[in-house]
Amino acid sequence: MSTVLYSLRHVVHRKMRSWLTIVSVLVGIAAIFTLLSFGIGIQAYVEQIAEDAGADKLFVMAKGIGAPGTDGNFFVSESDVDFIRKVNGVKEASGIYIKAGEIEFKKQKKQNFVLGLDMSKQQFVEGALLVEIEKGRSLKKTDLDKIVLGYNYQIEDKIFSRGLDIGDKITINGKPMAIVGFFKEVGNPSDDANIYVNYKTIDALFPGSTFGYAVVQADKGVAADELALRIQDKLRRFKNQEEGKEDFFVQTFADILATFGTVIVVINGVLVLIALISVAVASVNIMNTMYTAVLERTKEIGVMKAIGAQNHSILSIFVIEAGLLSSIGGVLGVVFGFIFASIGGAIAAASGFSSLQPAFPAVLVIGCILFSFILGVVAGLLPARQAAKLNAVDALRYE
Amino acid sequence: MNKDYILFAFNNLRSRKLRSWLTMLGIFIGIAAVVALIGLGEGLRTAVLSQFGFLGSDVLTVQASGIQFAGPPGQAVSTPLSDDLTDKIERIRGVDAAINRHIESGAIEFNDRQHVGIVTSLPEQNKRKVFERMVNLKAAEGRLLDDSDDRKVVLGHDYSADDIFGKEVAVGNTVLIKGEAFEVAGILEKKGSFIFDHSAFLNEDALLDLFGNRKTVDAIAVKAKETNDVLRVKEEVEQLLRKERDVKKGEENFIVESPQSTLDSLNSTLFAVQLFVSVIAAISLLVGGIGIMNTMYTSVVERTREIGVMKSVGARNSSVFILFFFESGLLGAVGGAIGIVIGLILAYGFAALGRAVLGTELIQAQVSVFLIVGSLLFSFMLGTLSGILPAFQAARMQPVDALRERA
Repeated sequence: MSTVLYSLRHVVHRKMRSWLTIVSVLVGIAAIFTLLSFGIGIQAYVEQIAEDAGADKLFVMAKGIGAPGTDGNFFVSESDVDFIRKVNGVKEASGIYIKAGEIEFKKQKKQNFVLGLDMSKQQFVEGALLVEIEKGRSLKKTDLDKIVLGYNYQIEDKIFSRGLDIGDKITINGKPMAIVGFFKEVGNPSDDANIYVNYKTIDALFPGSTFGYAVVQADKGVAADELALRIQDKLRRFKNQEEGKEDFFVQTFADILATFGTVIVVINGVLVLIALISVAVASVNIMNTMYTAVLERTKEIGVMKAIGAQNHSILSIFVIEAGLLSSIGGVLGVVFGFIFASIGGAIAAASGFSSLQPAFPAVLVIGCILFSFILGVVAGLLPARQAAKLNAVDALRYE
Repeated sequence: MNKDYILFAFNNLRSRKLRSWLTMLGIFIGIAAVVALIGLGEGLRTAVLSQFGFLGSDVLTVQASGIQFAGPPGQAVSTPLSDDLTDKIERIRGVDAAINRHIESGAIEFNDRQHVGIVTSLPEQNKRKVFERMVNLKAAEGRLLDDSDDRKVVLGHDYSADDIFGKEVAVGNTVLIKGEAFEVAGILEKKGSFIFDHSAFLNEDALLDLFGNRKTVDAIAVKAKETNDVLRVKEEVEQLLRKERDVKKGEENFIVESPQSTLDSLNSTLFAVQLFVSVIAAISLLVGGIGIMNTMYTSVVERTREIGVMKSVGARNSSVFILFFFESGLLGAVGGAIGIVIGLILAYGFAALGRAVLGTELIQAQVSVFLIVGSLLFSFMLGTLSGILPAFQAARMQPVDALRERA
């Protein structure tokens, strides 16, 4: 009876040790899986935007400081946009007004951007700004004091304590405006709080305004980056400015996204590197567990060797054991990572960052599990070598 | 008695060298990472905060509230501050001076190159001295402006280096601002603030001539007579602005900030970032703790017979518990101590490397005594916490069963 108890305790203990080792791999892999899934998700989102907007879009922006288009000392003028439209290879160009407005609804006041769009080019402009009507209608060129709102205005307690609906009246800088539509969610709190009006309304609201920037579409078959250089050069001559002393710059949509994408990749990379430290510690734990296992099973190894087991078979036994231990941790880590990332994504969406979502491609899942297996094998190599090199006679004699 | 426990624990660890080293390796990798990251983050935070810390604690800044993060004060604002507010603010009891601040962006040209920079105003007449003292404005070369210097400019310190225009600007040179020529009267002392060191300063009238007078100001700097009176002055300024701009309490379309409140909000943002990074690094400590627990369980099983002997000669449960508890605490503490040393080397090494490669003084390491003591204490606690369950298992053993056990 007592013998059974002893061995049971041994098994329980060995189980405990295995579980602890698995948990340590689990924790590290879960952290890495979570971080990478967000990195990949954001990257995919950026690529999706690039695809939706097309590679044929460019922006002509005024220099200056602060958020693009808000610096009153530098601007894009109407004649600039007219000129750009005539540049060879330009299919369409349109100026965007961007103004800070004081919005009031039921005595609540907020400060947000009011964007003035050329509604005679509705499809082009909305496409370039990546907005799409979700509810109600878009603006017409002839509308006056009508507005389309960003997604967040519909939600209560997001911008105003009550969610707005079509037909509600709000005032911008004291002037009453009628809501005719809402755009779909863009996925960041700043864009989803924008207000959109047509040129006629912006003239009435902010007389004498100038464009913040201009959006440009290239002709079919014209490379956006080449067109950017051409516009840069032609517009500079048109504005009579010397090279290097332009008061504007031209960027392709791809440039802007690439910059954004690079920043995300770098930040994510740094975080993953830091999380890798925990995996390094986990590998030390595996090594420790395996050394103990070798020590405990010295006699067993002796027996195996005595009946003809070769060194490499012993090596394989322990290496595979370590790899297995680690992969179980990897699989569980992926499961937990999936749960963490999903919770994180839900939290992000609830705070207005629905663009910040994790992605779980198969390569990430398989990669994490494979990585944990390799980690175990590498960590198990030294202990396994020690086991393989044991002298059979000494091992048998070991107490 | 306590000394015996420690000695005993120490000897036990020594006799299982490899396993103890591997366990401690886990802890010191984690502690080294945390110490290095917190040290670097702390240094960076101090450096960033010093950019904003040059204003005295008796100065309030008034600005119209605009859209957050859209630019410097006065930009992306729907209802700017009118320029007649200054006189009204000055009539408030306890206010020493209220100064209009114009902050514009402008193309500055020199050496046939252009740079879009910040152009700000210097107040004139009796307010000039007040302002110069307020921001501790001193010329490193040349001199500051006086009221007659309509065509002169004082430049921030960064313009005296060659990286903006490809050539250093010197006193006596002429620069073009918005196409008009200004003679450089002086170069300011280095402030360590990017915005300040990158600004061009013109007399208020000259700036308004150049950019047009819109009868609005971008910010108002208010100096209180007494530092301990700042809070009351702040409230009265807010009250005045609410009346002037016709807004109710709680719906203000302006902000009155003390340098301290600006620092506080910046500080909390930086702290949040630092915390997030540290939490990710601390995951490795959790893993290290699991390693200690594992080693201690193994240790308890290996020494079952020994525990049996100790118990049969009269050792109490509590003594056995403390024995293992200490041993695991020691594992944590020694691992932590080594980790701190490595963390220090990493933090200062990376900071030096960063400064050399990036050429910025912003990258500094700063490891406080608190961080060192805290890490050491933490690693000891991590060790003891991880050791509780294994030690408990050891303490509860029946002496008879334990003695019968074969190693």
